[in-house]
Amino acid sequence: MLKLKHHQYGYLFVAPFIIGFLVFGLYPVVNTIVLSFTDRTLMSSSYSYIGLKNFQNLFADSTFTTAIKNTWQLWLMNFIPQMGIAFLLSIWFTNNRLKLRGVGVWRMIFYMPNLMMASAVAALFFSLFSFYGPVNQFLVRSGLLAEAIDFLRKPAIVRGLVVFIQWWMWFGQTTILLMAAMTAISPSLYEAAVVDGAGTIQMFLKITLPLIKPVLIYILVTSLVGGMQMFDIPYLLTDGRGSPGNSILTNTINMYMKFHSSKGHIGAASAVGLVVFVMTSVVALLIFFLLREKHDQSAEADR
Amino acid sequence: MKISYRSMTILYRVFIYLFLVILVVITLIPVWMLIVNATRSTVEIQQGISLLPSKYLFSNYKILLSKGLDLPRGFFNSLTIAVLTTVITVYFAMLTAYGIVGYNFKGRKSLYNMIIVLVMIPMQFSIIGFYQWMSKLGLTDSYASLILPSIASAGSVFFAKQYLDSIMIQDLIDAGRIDGATELGIFHRIMLPIAKPGMFTMGIFAFVAAWNNFFNAFILITSRDKYTLPMLVQTLRGDVYRHEYGAIYLGLAASVVPIIIIYFLFSRYIVNGISMGAVKE
Repeated sequence: MLKLKHHQYGYLFVAPFIIGFLVFGLYPVVNTIVLSFTDRTLMSSSYSYIGLKNFQNLFADSTFTTAIKNTWQLWLMNFIPQMGIAFLLSIWFTNNRLKLRGVGVWRMIFYMPNLMMASAVAALFFSLFSFYGPVNQFLVRSGLLAEAIDFLRKPAIVRGLVVFIQWWMWFGQTTILLMAAMTAISPSLYEAAVVDGAGTIQMFLKITLPLIKPVLIYILVTSLVGGMQMFDIPYLLTDGRGSPGNSILTNTINMYMKFHSSKGHIGAASAVGLVVFVMTSVVALLIFFLLREKHDQSAEADR
Repeated sequence: MKISYRSMTILYRVFIYLFLVILVVITLIPVWMLIVNATRSTVEIQQGISLLPSKYLFSNYKILLSKGLDLPRGFFNSLTIAVLTTVITVYFAMLTAYGIVGYNFKGRKSLYNMIIVLVMIPMQFSIIGFYQWMSKLGLTDSYASLILPSIASAGSVFFAKQYLDSIMIQDLIDAGRIDGATELGIFHRIMLPIAKPGMFTMGIFAFVAAWNNFFNAFILITSRDKYTLPMLVQTLRGDVYRHEYGAIYLGLAASVVPIIIIYFLFSRYIVNGISMGAVKE
């Protein structure tokens, strides 16, 4: 048998991952790129290469640009309040002066929605806010509304629901991450700052924020990548086409609609996937590499 | 009037507790309503909101089945996929991470950097290429196409690598080598037993993610008898169930309750596990 030097066994250990990645990760990406230059459909086996035609069609099509705009808006509208609440909670929970009770229980409850099946949550809100659903019943019977509102046909309300559900599912996780980062900061830094006469706000800006930056980047990047792929909730909250009036049409719904059209136009669907794939990756990697500090990189290399 | 520092703190604390209670109500009410409504009849649900359970659980279940929704089957399908995915994810993530942590081979840093980059790549957008490739291999409408990709789960390798860094005991491994254990034997008999708590945490996350995964199954699975729970949930919105609210809520509750139980049993592992990959001690 081939005699390996001891450290070369490492290759054998990582080989399954690399093979798995090539077969199930990299090749599908390459395949998507190839498909995006064809007019291939699921219904017919013949196809031809049509150059950039798919991409030209996309950028001429207002639903594509609407989907991109919607996805960014829906993500930002939930990310900002999510960070706001998470900062508030993590500052309170780690504050030595307040000494709040039951921190473990509070955050355990706040995290729970994150584990819920997104499709079930969407179906639940669909049912709660349907025309004959409990929310309308409650509002009409209690006299708050004169007559029932068709919530799911109002673009602003539907968008608000998607944003709310996303916020509801993710603020607990963000709180836990921020808390972990804040408690990892050595208390001696704050003590020294107090001796130097620093105020609470000054300490937050000069000590806390810089030291939790790696976690902030982690939260930002993972939330962005997840948000750009948003599908289950906007798909299942209304008719699966981003209604009403394309108000919750996201990139993935748009891609799915091309894939699932009567002909199954996988060439055009691949083009949608490829454009948003590149857009999201570029933004995520830019944030990661530009905001990451130099000394983090050297620490990484030492490991 | 001057308020002392002490009473200011108390006032502030009262305000915060009030805020937290409101947040808890917002967090729990949707899930609670879902579970309660699964036990109420459609008539009761239409009569108004209640936060107390009723006694129609079984009749809702019968309605659900009579409309052709095979809940036990979907449950079994989801469980099969989630268990297999969990085992494969955890084993191969540990294997890969151990290769990176335990051996100083050429290219290991580039491999680790590649894994970090992969965590930030939205792989979902290559689903069309994936679908077409799987259909060429004859793996569409098969669970293999849902389970096998977890051999290369970048996020789990990232987590496993951070974890192994923190528990690695080189002396123990060297001792194993002196005793004549094979490299794979060292991994199986020394490394994995030490890494059990981390593997368990990883396993819970892998299980929940697989259990909840709608999109991939929705694209790849077409036979009705292979539907997973999230796919059945999606069919509940159809016309067949239009006025069977009790049955709809029961279908939703059945997909959510197992995860809630897992959470209450293992919340300590889960809450600690969230920050494990992201925050370095």
